[in-house]
Amino acid sequence: MKAAGRRRVLAGCATLAALTALVLLMFPLYAVIVASFETNAQLFGASHYSFFPSQFTVSNYRVVLSQQGSHVTSSLIIALGTAALTLAVAVPAAHALARYRFRVTALLVGALLVGQILPSIVIANSLFLVYHHLHLLNSYPGLIIADASYAIPFGTLVLRAFMLGLPKDVLSAARVDGATEWRAFTRVVLPMSRSAVITVALFAFLNGWGDFIFALTMLNGNTFEPVTLSIYTYIGEFSQNWGEAMALAVFAVLPAAMLLIAAQRYIAAGLTVGSVKG
Amino acid sequence: MSQATAHAGRPSRQAQPPGEAMASPGRQARARRVARWVFLVPAVAYVLFAFAIPVVYNLVLSLEQTSPATISHLTAPFAGLSNYTTTLKDPVADSAIVRTFSFTVLSLLFQFIIGFALALLFNLRFPLRKFARSLILVPWLLPLLVTGVIFKFLFQLQAGAVNQVLLDLHLVHQPIGFEVSPGWAYLTVLITNIWIGVPFFTVLLYSALQDVPAELMEAARIDGAGAWQRLTRVTLPIIRPVIEVVFVLGFVFTIKVFDVVIGLTNGGPANSTQLIATWAYNLSFQDFNYGAGAALNTVLLLIALAAAPLYIWLNRDSLRGGSL
Repeated sequence: MKAAGRRRVLAGCATLAALTALVLLMFPLYAVIVASFETNAQLFGASHYSFFPSQFTVSNYRVVLSQQGSHVTSSLIIALGTAALTLAVAVPAAHALARYRFRVTALLVGALLVGQILPSIVIANSLFLVYHHLHLLNSYPGLIIADASYAIPFGTLVLRAFMLGLPKDVLSAARVDGATEWRAFTRVVLPMSRSAVITVALFAFLNGWGDFIFALTMLNGNTFEPVTLSIYTYIGEFSQNWGEAMALAVFAVLPAAMLLIAAQRYIAAGLTVGSVKG
Repeated sequence: MSQATAHAGRPSRQAQPPGEAMASPGRQARARRVARWVFLVPAVAYVLFAFAIPVVYNLVLSLEQTSPATISHLTAPFAGLSNYTTTLKDPVADSAIVRTFSFTVLSLLFQFIIGFALALLFNLRFPLRKFARSLILVPWLLPLLVTGVIFKFLFQLQAGAVNQVLLDLHLVHQPIGFEVSPGWAYLTVLITNIWIGVPFFTVLLYSALQDVPAELMEAARIDGAGAWQRLTRVTLPIIRPVIEVVFVLGFVFTIKVFDVVIGLTNGGPANSTQLIATWAYNLSFQDFNYGAGAALNTVLLLIALAAAPLYIWLNRDSLRGGSL
């Protein structure tokens, strides 16, 4: 009886602590959503911040929808391109590294691990000049190649760890049946690795969607511009246009929010598998 | 890829014994070997183009006298170590290097303390546990620049949410100028970065806690170990490998922080929140001195690569060959 009472008190405290933590973690998102429905007069230079504003406006969204559509489209193209390139490179490589012994296996896996920890600014500084020469600045292919620089090593290592866990006899059976390497890969390995492929695709998508440093360094804004770069321009030194910036920020966080609702288990899986067993 | 596949599937052109439709064993084996390499070619090409060339080219650039005029050529006049001496003599670069270290240490320390506390919390049974655990991922999934901008908004002097809370709680009488004071600006970047990293620490440490055998905890309890003793004598030693991984990964994530600073303070006021990455960006892309930026990048690269042996060692199992 006493123990049950104590357990209930403990559960109550835990719930309270968890709710406090959630409020602190979620408040910034709440603030963005609320601010996106407010005017600049309410947001910037007002005498105080109101947690529950009494006046709402949809004018920020009207402006954003009419002016930012192309930027949202650009972000989508970049994110989908990053996911596609990542899968095209990482899935076959993971398969080969998981199934066959190469003399270069340790070297290549080591290079991927080092690639994963290379700071983006180092890659951006060099690739900017290389791209200038190759005419890849201000182009989708150039930006997508740079944006995949985290997702490709991450994806290859995660997929390989997953494929190493697949039952060996299935693939051996396919070989005995006379299937070519390619058929064994597409008919046996790929369907069995579906969940890991989805995880990697989601991470690559989010990486491309959220990229800022490569867009900042490799685009001059005259051809196309992703949402992140556009938000940065909004809050530039001379234009404190918070209302519209916050409405655009809501668009920028939408994919993450949607994926979290729709595909949470893939995201949690990627986080743990990628870091601990990668 | 299709070429190799077609080759492997095509019957051999050599004279075949009647009734034999398959390719000769030797040919088939060679085709298989080729096919295996074809799987690897895109990855090898990518590693060379996106990792090897930039690292090598960065070293070359750092030894060259670059200027806006040299951008159109891939090379510039050799300059010896002058980029290193001038860049590293600059007090802004020096303080950016020191700041990157303090920023990394403080970020990791608080991310670990808060993340571990939350992991222990989620390990208890209480209502809403699953709901809370899924929501906690959110800060980690947002575009980093957007997070920086959101916190810039929250830390505003006028009508900022943080100042409003501090005023309402009577902790301050005047709103704090987070954006204009160097010390406060640094603290806002630090707090923002901790907020971003907590979910990562929480999720990994929580999944490690799941692997602590319940019987072991029960045995420790029966032996009379208190909650603190169970934590320090049983839990921590068991999850130590995960703690090591989390710290190494956290280190390599934190030393290259860029987006958050640019979104929040843009390195200001008066360069007081510049980190190595942001200052290298400034040198290269604001001053168009790519050689100087590359020299500072080399410092960042060395710090990152210092963690590489440890990172590779933690992943040593993955260096082994395939399963067939």
